[in-house]
Amino acid sequence: MHRRSLSLITLLLIVSAMPLSAAQFIVQPFERVATESKYVVRASVVDTWSAWDASQEVIYTYATLRVSRYFGEVAGPDTLVVREVGGTVDGYTQEAIGFPAIRRGEQVVLFLSEWDDSTDLRIHAYNQGKYLVRMRQDRTEVLVADPVKQGEERLSREQHRFEAEADDNGLTIEEFSEMVDAARAGEKPHAARRQ
Amino acid sequence: MKKQTFFSVLISTIIIVASAEPALAYVLLSPRRRWATTPITVRTYTVGNSTITDGSGGVNATVSAIRAWGIINSSTTSSPAVRGSAPATIMLNTNGGICTSGCLAATLTGYYISQSGDDRIYDADVYTNTAHQYYSSGESGCSGEYDINGIMVHEVGHVIGIGHSNVAGATMYPSVSACNAGNRTIEADDRAARDNLY
Repeated sequence: MHRRSLSLITLLLIVSAMPLSAAQFIVQPFERVATESKYVVRASVVDTWSAWDASQEVIYTYATLRVSRYFGEVAGPDTLVVREVGGTVDGYTQEAIGFPAIRRGEQVVLFLSEWDDSTDLRIHAYNQGKYLVRMRQDRTEVLVADPVKQGEERLSREQHRFEAEADDNGLTIEEFSEMVDAARAGEKPHAARRQ
Repeated sequence: MKKQTFFSVLISTIIIVASAEPALAYVLLSPRRRWATTPITVRTYTVGNSTITDGSGGVNATVSAIRAWGIINSSTTSSPAVRGSAPATIMLNTNGGICTSGCLAATLTGYYISQSGDDRIYDADVYTNTAHQYYSSGESGCSGEYDINGIMVHEVGHVIGIGHSNVAGATMYPSVSACNAGNRTIEADDRAARDNLY
């Protein structure tokens, strides 16, 4: 339990150490993000493509995920497709400033939920629902928040510094898994709930 | 030896100067983009937010607040936002299908990559999550609500091409808390970002 508390504190520190980087968001408690999600997955982004919606008003980017692991008690198919606002079609780019971006080739852990108006999947809780998987020097896989959001094609010097620090301090996959299990089982965390 | 020392000092100086880029400063959207001309027309849809009890649902307060940028032609419109088409439109009464749960407001912007590297913004619309409670400068008191004036000044910063600043106190600083009306004015860091673009 003590270790889980430390993990949660670590996660909160990681989240609070970086700008919320958003349109304007309210930070959600981890356990709320975990319990509201339909799936929590470790996956590779194997393909992305963008297209206008039927009314030609919004460009969405679709990402095919090859899922290697489901966290929590719910499992699903080996392949999922996620739909996110923003993308480029015929040279025109539409972005929701500060929303998560999803890119081909990324190794990710995602919280996924369904869109309000369809059963398509989206990243739950915006940037709180996306982690990049990085390999630490000791060959341990760790999770770090994605520092590059929509509207930020490149990293600032400070973001680079943050990312390097996050690589060293990120949660391990197993620590994350324990936290998801605890949250979905309804166990109360022992750390502050809100940034 | 003296020559070597001189070059060592010179190189060190160059490195120090290069690394002295302020770590805490405004950030422009990347790739850099801006509207073709100023003032930039931003309309606020006349249907306001039902949680704001200032008589116009925050519409009048928003129209006035976003003029803080100094380069905005601000007024109301009876036409809702059309994504992909100017003018920039603020919608206080809908999340646009994109801004839900923990999202308070979101700016959806569109641009073309130009060959010259001077990218142009063609449209930007702002949507408000109606699941949250807001208040405006036209009301007195606050109880767990979010300041619509400040939120929209911040969002219009995105509309004109500015990203999030790391300077605490800047309007483009990303964090927001309830009952905080500090974003109603723009600060030196915000002005610097605006002046870089226009």
